[in-house]
Amino acid sequence: MDRHVLQGIPVSTGVALGRAYFLNRGRGRNIPRQNIPDDDVQNELIRVEQAFSQALAELETIQSRVPTELLEHARIIESHIMMLQDPKLLESAKAYIRDMQLNAEWALEKAVADIEAVFRSIEDVYIRERIQDVRLVAGRVQQHLLGECGNSLRSINTRIILLAHDLSPADTIELEVGKIMAFATVTGGKTSHTGILARAMQIPAIVGVADLEESIQDGQLIIIDGLQGRIIIEPDEEELAGFTDLKYQFEEYQAGINRSSHLPAETIDGYRVKVFANIELLEEVSSVLGNGGEGVGLYRTEYSYLNRMKLPEEEQLLEEYQDLASIMYPSKVVLRTLDVGSDKFMNHFGGLDEANPALGMRAVRFCLHHMDLFRVQLRAILRASVHENISLMFPMVSGLGELRQVKSVLYSVQMELKQQGLPYNPEMPVGIMIELPSAMITADILAAEVDFFSIGTNDLIQYSLGIDRTNSFVSYLYQPLHPALVRMIKYVVDAGHRAGIEVSICGEMAADPYCIPVLMGMHVDCLSMNPQAVPVIKHIIRQATMEECKSLLRDVLASKTVGRNNKLVKDSIFRRHPKELMFYSSLLDEGY
Amino acid sequence: MDVLDVVSRKVFVANELGLHARPAARLAREAQKYSARITLLFQEQEVDAKSILDLLTLALGPGCAVELKAQGQDAQLALERLEQLFLNRFEEER
Repeated sequence: MDRHVLQGIPVSTGVALGRAYFLNRGRGRNIPRQNIPDDDVQNELIRVEQAFSQALAELETIQSRVPTELLEHARIIESHIMMLQDPKLLESAKAYIRDMQLNAEWALEKAVADIEAVFRSIEDVYIRERIQDVRLVAGRVQQHLLGECGNSLRSINTRIILLAHDLSPADTIELEVGKIMAFATVTGGKTSHTGILARAMQIPAIVGVADLEESIQDGQLIIIDGLQGRIIIEPDEEELAGFTDLKYQFEEYQAGINRSSHLPAETIDGYRVKVFANIELLEEVSSVLGNGGEGVGLYRTEYSYLNRMKLPEEEQLLEEYQDLASIMYPSKVVLRTLDVGSDKFMNHFGGLDEANPALGMRAVRFCLHHMDLFRVQLRAILRASVHENISLMFPMVSGLGELRQVKSVLYSVQMELKQQGLPYNPEMPVGIMIELPSAMITADILAAEVDFFSIGTNDLIQYSLGIDRTNSFVSYLYQPLHPALVRMIKYVVDAGHRAGIEVSICGEMAADPYCIPVLMGMHVDCLSMNPQAVPVIKHIIRQATMEECKSLLRDVLASKTVGRNNKLVKDSIFRRHPKELMFYSSLLDEGY
Repeated sequence: MDVLDVVSRKVFVANELGLHARPAARLAREAQKYSARITLLFQEQEVDAKSILDLLTLALGPGCAVELKAQGQDAQLALERLEQLFLNRFEEER
């Protein structure tokens, strides 16, 4: 049956037409099992040795080309090379060929499974997870055995649409950015690495496409529609014409919104909103400025703590925060204190056996339990605050008691700095993220003791509706415009404004064109989003009138169901922003 | 000294995180340069020091004391060099 449209999750917008190329075909596929006759044993032994040396040569080539700024990648590849050279893996595969007369593919699979069994009994989580690396390495050998490697990315001279099961660090190193027009992968969700990479490259990408591998042959002409999350295989005349139109219109539209992205986000009737960006790497600053971001509304400070063997030292953090502040000066930068759970810190603090990390030792709770680590970060933030554009934000505060606890740590660190004669800004604004229903309900109490609120909608939605959005059974319940959430967000904004503090929204809702008019109707002061979303959100605001947003909000507040809210919002978008309806998918869409 | 003699020495894992993937890769790479048979002995388990996978399965945490053993032509030299690696924490920066 030739059904030639596949559906996935769009993670980077745009459309592309090109030839498909499948990277690492066969990863995650069943390996053929055969028993081989005596006189084939020698042949299989040679095959397996050759596959190993081919994979090794490949990795060494990749290693020699790793750019210096990707040292972390280089280290991963180094240990992959060692695993390939490890006599254990190859010898054990050869033993299976010799003693059990298995074909090379199956023998290798058995050898990996043996190693996996040993690793599984290791208590150290970090080391246990290295089995992933063994799998990746074996996968590379497996492709050579299956004869699927005659086509390295290197040998491609034309631009392609890259399809993959998933993209590993070694894979992404190999990519020649200029050759790739779009991505699509079998695995992954809204937040996967592929999406981040694609948005940074500004090419369309779709993840979570179930039948990708079976449905598309290398070299087939395909359309990647990153607006709707569709892949069209071997499009007919009509589809091609449609694509060409869409592409042209989208590019026109994009050029237009990019041209006006440096303008202020002000409605037709003169209401001004600040549009900030969320980032986690210093390098992203250029994309903040390039896209018209007016500041950094959320700097996720986790990166310096993860994927490394040592906790960062104060001086190192200080330098990082100072760099960020000085590049952005005089625009505002909000530094969020460490927002991770124990599960990310196995290496440093040993594991906690938590049945439910999302409701466990995370964010400020984690910091309060690891006071030394917390104080080091607070010292670095305070010392960097001499750049007066820095604000501090505490994540996941559950109520006033906890807020006072973290503020007392902050105060004691300030005293310490004072005694040491180290300068800091005593007036640095201190705010909290409102992401727990308990903080939301007590927003009026909390507002009296902080300088600003930032509503973290992603977690607020999950905690309020009691769902894990990555659980595909219940993800349909992830509805930003559930009447409860609309009321909650409005309540927080009003409570903040009554206390005379600013309220911003940071979370995917702030980057969703469909949600903007409702949020605007609440008079939010600031929206903070991924940098690539800034131009379209600014554009939406500039096309809107506050009058209409307020009237839409009134209707939404009067409605009793999500379904009605989504319809109200879509109708209003259709009237005022028809293009966005065509070019952007939304959190409100069914099947998200 | 006879080449059949087994030479050994006690070493100590001083890395903050123990013998994780990178140090294990360094150690195995270094061990492979010698013809001697080199093993690591830890709590009754003896593994091949030339195998990163074997080294990882020991899951050596920080502060473990292990015994390096070597047998062969260049055993003495190998031990000295590998001990150095343990002493300078496998040259991990920072």
